[in-house]
Amino acid sequence: MLLFPGIYPKTIFPEVMAKQNDTRQKNSNGLMALVADRSFYVLGVILFMIVWQIAASLKLFGADFSEAFSPLAAILALIEMIKNGELIHHALPSLRRVLVSLSLAVVVALPIGVLVGYFRRIEQLTYVVFQFMRMISPLAWMPIAIIIFGVGDVSVVFLLWLVAIWPLILNTSHGAGRVSPLWVNMAKTMGALDMGILRKVIIPAAVPDMLTGLRLAVGVSWIILVPAEMLGVSDGLGYFILDTRDRFRYDQLMATIMVIGMIGYLLDSANRWLISKFSWKI
Amino acid sequence: MTTESPVLISLRQVSKTYRKNGREFHALRDCSFDVMKNEFLVIVGPTGCGKSTLLNLMAGLDFPTSGTILLEGEPVTGPGADRGVIFQEYALLPWRSVLKNVELGFEFRKNGMNQREREDEAMKYLDMVGLGYAVKKHPGELSGGMKRRASLAMILAIKPVILLMDGAFNALDSKTKMTMHQEITRIWETEKNTVVFVTSDLDEAVKLADRIVVLNRDGSIASVLRNELPRPRLGSAARDLDFHHRFIGFRETVMNVIKKDAGLRTCAIS
Repeated sequence: MLLFPGIYPKTIFPEVMAKQNDTRQKNSNGLMALVADRSFYVLGVILFMIVWQIAASLKLFGADFSEAFSPLAAILALIEMIKNGELIHHALPSLRRVLVSLSLAVVVALPIGVLVGYFRRIEQLTYVVFQFMRMISPLAWMPIAIIIFGVGDVSVVFLLWLVAIWPLILNTSHGAGRVSPLWVNMAKTMGALDMGILRKVIIPAAVPDMLTGLRLAVGVSWIILVPAEMLGVSDGLGYFILDTRDRFRYDQLMATIMVIGMIGYLLDSANRWLISKFSWKI
Repeated sequence: MTTESPVLISLRQVSKTYRKNGREFHALRDCSFDVMKNEFLVIVGPTGCGKSTLLNLMAGLDFPTSGTILLEGEPVTGPGADRGVIFQEYALLPWRSVLKNVELGFEFRKNGMNQREREDEAMKYLDMVGLGYAVKKHPGELSGGMKRRASLAMILAIKPVILLMDGAFNALDSKTKMTMHQEITRIWETEKNTVVFVTSDLDEAVKLADRIVVLNRDGSIASVLRNELPRPRLGSAARDLDFHHRFIGFRETVMNVIKKDAGLRTCAIS
């Protein structure tokens, strides 16, 4: 009997494959099997931490800094940051900026995306401009944002908004554009006008694509957040990265990086949950 | 006061030409016939002869290149709720339950029905098609026959004057098809709609039709045949030997019209 059936590599030999499937089925009964199966995700994280710690202990990050760059130091710093409130102080403004810019992006991008997807002429009018704009890194707009909105919150939110609208617009329009003509024709023969078709057929049909767009938008917003918060705001995780550097607190810097990754992961998980909850399947 | 004409839809010299890669393709040539009120009209013909095009023109989803289509004396300018279309591929919205799909037609109209009334009305038609037991299911969970029933209920609920059915029972197994024939005949008899039914299945045509329009392969009308077979034609009635002979006889008549077209074509090529 195989001890950990999942860890053996997939094979191309059918008889071995059948055996692997067999053992998997035998072990797939009950809660224990589920826990055993899912434990591999946790195991991956633990292994990663161990490799990281070993690398730090071997001073692979340089003789002076390896101590501060180790996961143990980062975790201790993290506990310290939680206790003295610094974490909340910087994480909340970051989350607020991302959520505000995402909400503004959704409000603007979804209607545009639906119109672009449904009306061919609007799609033609906007195609080149949108494809052109989406390829520009929002950080390139940074000086312009600062000239227009000044240094501070508004500039950061603007840059995040600018990066979030493209995946939302393009995915929504893709979803609205590939709606089965059969459904549209059916709605027409039932007496629906453009408005009714948009509200009852096109928009609900595009929901899965909107959610995919949202997931991508959250991803890029969270990534752009850190450099955007280096633009002269005085709180936020991006600001805190620079702050820890200036104070030579590399353990806190590592802890902040861990927090950024963790919040990003949680935001993405929330999106995956939304997709699984609100996507229709044929 | 004008006397009510028994003609519901009238087609006069209707032609439809498509352009494909710079070449003209005649889907329909000079088609003229009338659809009478309360009639069950079946259009048959070989695949690709323009049957579906004909139905789309009547539905107002497409427009003829030349000729006129009048609906109760008025030219057809677009789709409308007076003509319910059941497409070859069922058109249920996958994110709505069966009940919500049937309610869709009510939502398009501003007739002030509240949620409760919409539900009751939709249930009436779902019961009519025998799907009252599966109203909470989503289209993905339905079998082929159930999907047809659901789309039928969806269209019946908008109370169309005329039902346009395009190969509606094509992909069903023969037993389900038989049940659906009984259902549609029963509904047509009780609701007193007019049905235009497109199919390439001759048995189906003979079972259902009052009259059969036979299309040639080039998109012209070969013949319009009156089906004199008495109703009911389904279930136990079909087992009567005399009826059976007449059934076969009429099917042969239709078949001969189709064969004549095919034969002519073969001659023309060779």
